[in-house]
Amino acid sequence: MTLEAIDVHHGYGTETVFEGVSLSVSPGEVVAIIGPSGVGKSTLLRLLALFDAPNRGSIEYENQAVWDVSEQRRLEYRRRIGMVFQEASLFDASVRRNAEYGLRVRRSWTDRLRHELSSLVGKTNGTGDAIDALETVGLREQADQDASSLSGGEAQRVAFARALAYEPDILLLDEPTSDLDPRNTAVIEDAILEARRRGIGVVIATHDMHQAERIADRVAVLLGNDIIEVGNTETVFENPTDERTRKFIEGELIY
Amino acid sequence: MPLEPDTLTPLLIDFPFEWNYIRSIIYVSLYVSLTAVVLSTLFSLPVALLVGFKDFRGKTLLTSIINTGMGFPSVVVGLVVLFAVSNQGPLGSFDLVFTTEAMIMSQFILAAPVITGVSLAAVSSVEQNVRDAAYAMGGTKTDVALVTIKEARYGIATAVLAGFGRAISEVGSVLIVGGNIASSDGTSVTRTITTAIQLEARQGRFETAMILGAILVVLVLIVNAIVVRLGNGGGGGRYE
Amino acid sequence: MEIQRRGLVAAIGSSAAVGLAGCAALAGDTGDNENSPEISGETLTLTTTTSTYDTGLLDELNAPFEDRYGVTVDTVAQGTGAALETARNGDSDVVMVHARSLEDEFMDEGYGVNRRDLMFNDFVLVGPPDDPGGISGETDIETALTEISEAESEFVSRGDNSGTHTKELELWDTAGLTVEAFGEWYIDGGGGMGEILNQASMQDAYTLSDRGTFIDMQSEINLDIHVQGPVEGGPEPLMNPYGIVAVNPAVHDHVEYDLAMAYIGYITSIEGQEIIEEYTSEGEQLFFAEALSEEPNFQQYVPEGWESSNSDE
Repeated sequence: MTLEAIDVHHGYGTETVFEGVSLSVSPGEVVAIIGPSGVGKSTLLRLLALFDAPNRGSIEYENQAVWDVSEQRRLEYRRRIGMVFQEASLFDASVRRNAEYGLRVRRSWTDRLRHELSSLVGKTNGTGDAIDALETVGLREQADQDASSLSGGEAQRVAFARALAYEPDILLLDEPTSDLDPRNTAVIEDAILEARRRGIGVVIATHDMHQAERIADRVAVLLGNDIIEVGNTETVFENPTDERTRKFIEGELIY
Repeated sequence: MPLEPDTLTPLLIDFPFEWNYIRSIIYVSLYVSLTAVVLSTLFSLPVALLVGFKDFRGKTLLTSIINTGMGFPSVVVGLVVLFAVSNQGPLGSFDLVFTTEAMIMSQFILAAPVITGVSLAAVSSVEQNVRDAAYAMGGTKTDVALVTIKEARYGIATAVLAGFGRAISEVGSVLIVGGNIASSDGTSVTRTITTAIQLEARQGRFETAMILGAILVVLVLIVNAIVVRLGNGGGGGRYE
Repeated sequence: MEIQRRGLVAAIGSSAAVGLAGCAALAGDTGDNENSPEISGETLTLTTTTSTYDTGLLDELNAPFEDRYGVTVDTVAQGTGAALETARNGDSDVVMVHARSLEDEFMDEGYGVNRRDLMFNDFVLVGPPDDPGGISGETDIETALTEISEAESEFVSRGDNSGTHTKELELWDTAGLTVEAFGEWYIDGGGGMGEILNQASMQDAYTLSDRGTFIDMQSEINLDIHVQGPVEGGPEPLMNPYGIVAVNPAVHDHVEYDLAMAYIGYITSIEGQEIIEEYTSEGEQLFFAEALSEEPNFQQYVPEGWESSNSDE
């Protein structure tokens, strides 16, 4: 259940974003991507979320290159990945319906319907349920409210619950707390750790070094067009092998 | 005067219609315009989504065609449809001239650009973030399209209403392709409220024309109210 | 269908004075069975003028016909020009109009067959009660028109290529006046008879109207008759004869020719002609039946002047 970017080259038009980026995330670990803003953290997450195919290199899920398979098969991969954006981007509907969205689109196909039925039977253990996901972010009581009535922090927590509700194997978080106050940030971070506890592999893009330090098992440093260093959080922060990493962590602008 | 006022329910002091006449005119108006609007909507929404979110050659041209179509004169549309359905025209063998089907065709052509244009503005205003979220949650392209429609529902409702308003209030094309026919017993065949108004005004019966005009306004108000009600009720609706 | 057709033939046979129309219906019946169109098999499309339609006469005429044959008559009211044009395109089965020159053209081109004289009324020159052109009581229409043009009193023209419009242009022409040279007092109204009467009434203008529509609308408008037509002893040029023509099935093979001929047969029968004679509006007779005559009238079947060039027949 490992999701990997292998030697990815990517760009838009003449602009190069990545030259040979590789990164992997395994079940039950939290990988933080750190780097200055504008370096392409979001682009990397979108590639991992299978929005676009990389120009070169491959994205692999369980060692299968996902862009070499049919769209239908790729949809199945996509559906094992959840994503939360910097903005909550909730649908104009109730909190519950937002949280249920991922479950709902999966029900449309007959085999997914069966899967859904069996998970409904297994509802007693509390997995895969939208309400349960809302509980994780402490918004169970707000389930029947209109999503537009929520504060920014609450909305982002619902967005997190929405991605968690269908029990993805991988959760991709793009600066999920950068607009949030400390209290809501803490709720999200707790939820990330809860997700890890459930065996979900988490990739979080953040410009907040302290957040990376608090929750990540591994840290990847994205600078220039490449990941210049990846390793255990403690190692990267305490004893980076690359000089630029040290400078970046110490807050020195390097370009 | 084809209609005897003395056989009427005296609702108004001198209500100059037979109920059968008025009922059948309303029925024809609603049948033609609602059918045209439903068909236009089914056609226009996919087009709006396609134009709104796909890049392709000729997109600017298509957009300007849609915008031009929004102001297309109904009599011109009527003439074009008449040419098409006339026995000498390409659809001549279907025997459509002076039928409600031909009227539906011309109102479809009138309403579709309005519904497409206003829907296009509505779906274009749906944030890419929300569409990305639907996709990232495992939605297919169809799911994303449905979310977009759902998010843009108020704008789309406005579009449908604008299309309906254009269809039911136009007189030029239905007069040309429909022929404003009522049978000799006073039942409308292709006579709509607007063409009936035109007929009454032509004959100098302005009061009758005014009453028909009032009925038209009330009908439009009722349909607007229903659509707005549906739009609000859809707030907790479903994405499927 | 078959039964209905037999009934139709029998009915035609029993109705008197159908003349040529009846014979043609019998002939058309046998030929039509192979290619009868499926959709409008029981609908006859009649294009006619606003002047016959707006008077309500057609509803009176059509109801008994529809009842007897179990068919529907779809009446489309247009100007004479448009009514004939619709028929040219094969979009109607029978035409009832009042502009002999246009009807003749229609038949000359082969689009129309079996024309019958149907009825007549007359045109009247109407205008504001205070008669700004001073034409009231004039018995010569040419003089009256000349006076209007000299006084430059407002005159609303139909301007829609209708029978009335055609007649109006003919009258100006006979009076030796050129419409194109008229000033702003000559208004191109561009509408049906009723609309033009309304316009003339609102603008205190003169206009030429058929008597039927004028009588029917008299109470709604503020206009008086200043020059009477021949019905009330006025000049002969104001005669307004109506004809009815079937669309030629040899040109448009899908038209309801047999039904059209049945309709012509009915409308020119004693029954149809009586309905026309008895139809009144505001207590006045609007149309005068013209189809029935003991004397032969072959001219009604063919374009005017046809006889002389084809006398070798």
